[in-house]
Amino acid sequence: MSLLNLLLLILVVAALGYFIGRSRALKSAKGDQAALHSRPHHYGWNVAIFASLPALLVMVAFVLLQALVVPNSVLKEISPELIESTGSRSLVMTQVQTISNGLEAAVENGLIAEENIATLDVQTADVRALIQEAGVVLGADVNAEMLESAKTLKDRVKKWSFIRNILIVVISLAGLIYAIIRTNKDFRARNVVENSIIALLVAAASIAIFTTIGIVLSMTFETLRFFELYPASQYFFGTQWAANFRGGSALGVLPLLWGTLYISLIALAVAVPIGLFAAIYLSEYASPLMRSVAKPTLEVLAGIPTIVYGLFALTTFGPFLLGLFGKGGALGVEWMADGRSVLTAGIVMGIMLIPFVSSLSDDIINSVPQAMRDGSYGLGATQSETVRQVILPAALPGVVGAILLAASRAIGETMIVVMGAGATAAIFYESPDRFINPFEIMTTITTRIVAQLTGDGAFNSPETLVAFALGLTLFCLTLMLNVYALYIVRKYQERYV
Amino acid sequence: MTQTSLFTADARTTKRNRAEKRFKAYGLTAISIGVFMLVYLLYTILSSGLGAFFQTRVTMDIPLVQEEIIKAEKGLLKTKAYKKIIANALYAELAEAGIETTMKEKELLGIISGRAPAELRSFVQENPDQIGTTVEFKLLAGSFIDGYMKGRVVRENAERSKNYSIAQLDLVDQMQKAGILKKGFNLAFITGNDASESSPEAAGFGPAILGSLAMMIVVAGCAVTLGVAASIFLEEFAPQNRFTDIIEVNISNLAAVPSIVFGILGLSVFINYLGPISGDDWIKNNSAFVGGMVLTLMTLPTVIIATRASLKAVPPSIRDAALGLGASKLQTVFHHVLPLAAPGILTGSIIGLAQALGESAPLLLIGLVLAQGASAPDSIAEFFAGPNTAMPAQIYQWSTRADPAFYERAWGGIIILLVFLLTMNILAVILRRRFERRW
Amino acid sequence: MTSKHDIDTQYNDNQTRDLDMNNIKISAKKVQVYYGDAHAIKDVDVEIQDKTVTAFIGPSGCGKSTFLRSLNRMNDTIDICRVEGEILLDNENIYDKRVDPVQLRAKVGMVFQKPNPFPKSIYDNIAYGPRIHGLAKNKAELDDIVEKSLRRGAIWNEVKDRLHAPGTGLSGGQQQRLCIARAIATEPEVLLMDEPCSALDPIATAQVEELIDELRSNYSVVIVTHSMQQAARVSQKTAFFHLGNLVEYGDTGQIFTNPQDSRTESYITGRIG
Repeated sequence: MSLLNLLLLILVVAALGYFIGRSRALKSAKGDQAALHSRPHHYGWNVAIFASLPALLVMVAFVLLQALVVPNSVLKEISPELIESTGSRSLVMTQVQTISNGLEAAVENGLIAEENIATLDVQTADVRALIQEAGVVLGADVNAEMLESAKTLKDRVKKWSFIRNILIVVISLAGLIYAIIRTNKDFRARNVVENSIIALLVAAASIAIFTTIGIVLSMTFETLRFFELYPASQYFFGTQWAANFRGGSALGVLPLLWGTLYISLIALAVAVPIGLFAAIYLSEYASPLMRSVAKPTLEVLAGIPTIVYGLFALTTFGPFLLGLFGKGGALGVEWMADGRSVLTAGIVMGIMLIPFVSSLSDDIINSVPQAMRDGSYGLGATQSETVRQVILPAALPGVVGAILLAASRAIGETMIVVMGAGATAAIFYESPDRFINPFEIMTTITTRIVAQLTGDGAFNSPETLVAFALGLTLFCLTLMLNVYALYIVRKYQERYV
Repeated sequence: MTQTSLFTADARTTKRNRAEKRFKAYGLTAISIGVFMLVYLLYTILSSGLGAFFQTRVTMDIPLVQEEIIKAEKGLLKTKAYKKIIANALYAELAEAGIETTMKEKELLGIISGRAPAELRSFVQENPDQIGTTVEFKLLAGSFIDGYMKGRVVRENAERSKNYSIAQLDLVDQMQKAGILKKGFNLAFITGNDASESSPEAAGFGPAILGSLAMMIVVAGCAVTLGVAASIFLEEFAPQNRFTDIIEVNISNLAAVPSIVFGILGLSVFINYLGPISGDDWIKNNSAFVGGMVLTLMTLPTVIIATRASLKAVPPSIRDAALGLGASKLQTVFHHVLPLAAPGILTGSIIGLAQALGESAPLLLIGLVLAQGASAPDSIAEFFAGPNTAMPAQIYQWSTRADPAFYERAWGGIIILLVFLLTMNILAVILRRRFERRW
Repeated sequence: MTSKHDIDTQYNDNQTRDLDMNNIKISAKKVQVYYGDAHAIKDVDVEIQDKTVTAFIGPSGCGKSTFLRSLNRMNDTIDICRVEGEILLDNENIYDKRVDPVQLRAKVGMVFQKPNPFPKSIYDNIAYGPRIHGLAKNKAELDDIVEKSLRRGAIWNEVKDRLHAPGTGLSGGQQQRLCIARAIATEPEVLLMDEPCSALDPIATAQVEELIDELRSNYSVVIVTHSMQQAARVSQKTAFFHLGNLVEYGDTGQIFTNPQDSRTESYITGRIG
């Protein structure tokens, strides 16, 4: 029985419990609703909750426990030689897991009968081909010990799942019976139900925490696996990026980091002046009518999906730049060889970021007290002098916060760089052209994450796992920027409250 | 200060006023650039994408002769025989229209889409009763002929191209004059399946629209439920303590985490970790369920922030009134506060959904891409649990294909995507206007 | 500068200035101020003398602040506000089309109800006006102006050791004197003060009042105040506003001891307000 079916079963039991609980409560009050402590539906819910909630909690706990215990128990039995020859424990485990999944899929697709698996042998059958036919891709060949371990793993998973199903059904029914027995007219069902609901609300609120933990844990584990296969020092300080799914890659993060920062810098160089001047004009000069039209119009730029900007960079803006700066272009210079470049992605991203800068800056400029303006006008300052010398310095921390938030956006942006910046990493030592020239192709962290994870590599190769290290790097980078920016903005807001 | 008249501006004031005008002009320029870029973007979208909604088709009568069909079905390459049928029918059609041609069969068939023989065959198999009659078909023209009709392909390049010839283009002009070849509205783009790399003229957006719909159902169900529950706790029940603080900080940080990181989370948690354990397709596959869950986590902060704002806007007097009548705190919230806050919650949720609908990067990571030419899932279970795709992912797919004719498809897809987004945003504005309440 | 018109105006100016025995600095004629549809100031005629402290008193919402703000066109910054009639500064209508409000406000400085130092250093606060108006040729001159203004603002001794500390770090009374010094630094001819002591404690109020009395020797000072005692203490002339009308205007002693209008009397004796 799969998890989904188990879930459905529990829900059916709970629904049944609702009606039993409700009718039992009414019966104990001889049909007089007023004699009950709580409303009838509270009794129904009480039973339903007891029949489902503990069972669901046990189910989640069991699934997580199983994930920890079962593979480890198999791993313990694997010979040190095999681990030695494969590279690391986690690598062996991933392969065994994949084979096991493949066997499962093969049975499902009817390629092999369940009872024939026990006698499956690497000498007599091409296990890899069998698994491949079932739709599971395997990186390396299957050896005998791995196949045996995979069989063991598959058996144990099956055994555990069986125990799991029995246990959960028993818990569900026990909860149902316990709650039904407790149901009578004096039972305070409402309090029980309400406390359970509040517990659920707390659980929902905790999802934010679990998401963060999930992000950090999942990426950290895979990153550690990556560092088992590839030295961390070469990742952090390596000045070359040349990923090759056939192996022997150079996976230094520095060229990618440089590409990311370079493109973000150009994006900010476009977005900050335009966004800031737009914000100043809207908050200091524009008539209410113009403000009510121009502000939402600019904000539309932020609501357009990034894939649109990506396609714009790829099919319209890149060729446009190429037409200006490329061979035989309008300017008669040969600076550009490809429509994709740092400049293409940077400028298009800058357009997208205009409203991020302008909206937040507008709010911040508006929150500078009117007394500041009055003071300056009273001394005979013009509006622009007031803006430049009084309002902007007063709003500076907030505006810096807004720019940092936009920068974090730019660093994490994916589609525009995937489609507009190209796939070649910066090269530091050859010629300055390959890392300074904004007309050159230059790839970024996000671009490489997409490329490495959607590429053809086996999942446990360093070329794929590096994506998690890149993801973690990106996460830390943007998190630091965000936390610092929010801190600045909050501190600024407190100043004028 | 020297005694000067106020009526005459001194030199310094004149200079300062000029600086003022300049400064103001910078601001106006900045806004104009922003607005211009928006208009230019919209112009690009429409001018590049509207073409996808129109397609060139060749109208011809094809006699479905029984012997020919039986012979064709016996052959090794079945579509080859159907090609012959189409070619003969086209020669006949041209002769009838009085167009003389000496073109070889292969070149002539180049005008028609490579998918036409398969189309004809499936028609015959679905309608065996029509065999023996003559049926009027509107067969798709080939991608380059369609491009010629739309102005993408020009005569000047014909000599250098392997894909089309001047003779073909001449014939197309004549066929157009005779009314055999026409450009018309292309419903198949909206409802049809994607096509293989070699036939962009037949590619449709249907599975992508349905996939996005499936994902939005998941997001609407999960993100709204979880978001509202979390907001109610934080706004109405949460005590001021460390735990609450940690949640608050987490939510504001999650709102700014790059979307691609959520894709990595989905890949490693659902597809690599939970999937193999549970053995369930709906978690293991690149399904709408997994995509929806990832997008849910991504939109949750948006929904929570909007919901909390609208809960906050309900005045405390309402809560006091209900509590004063002996309602429990939970009853107060669910019977009074929540209904009053519902329009705001709905607006925030729609905006969150719109954000999820346009997101592409995380979907690429969890592989929400169908094989080329695949059709939409055909059962409800497959719809949520089977491999699926989404509008932005399909648009990205098209943009990576070699034939630039797919760019037109991609822009067309963007028009459809934006129509959905626009509808959702207008809905949100209407809801806000209609139910806005001032206390 | 050489056009005939300008010469005429200048000639007239000099003539009127010589003839002006009472030294009238500002003269308002039939001034009306509207906020949208609301008629805030009705038909106000008043003549304000040079080197005198003039107090505007009246109940809340009577229009005294509005009238004060129209004297240096601060009302221009409010979109819905409209001023009719004539206000002459040295016989020139400040609402004339040719007048640049920026130039005007350099001549007619203003101090506000709440002290509003810029979030800059004390030095930069004072130097702001001279810098934008180009009053100092070099750093030494600017230093001079700053010191002179701070001395005139009676705050030099308190801040001379920390000129580069932020102005927002001073106490309320010090901040207000800083703002007065800031207004003085642009060398205005008239100083408008909108309830300058309402946010201050009694000791700081006393210091500011003393300062106002000293300023009289150089400037024409117009002060709006809520406190009749303050008006009596610092001013030589007093104008009483009520519901947008100027009810009575005269020597302070006369207004407080022998008011001509019954409304003035009611206000002064505390029956309305």
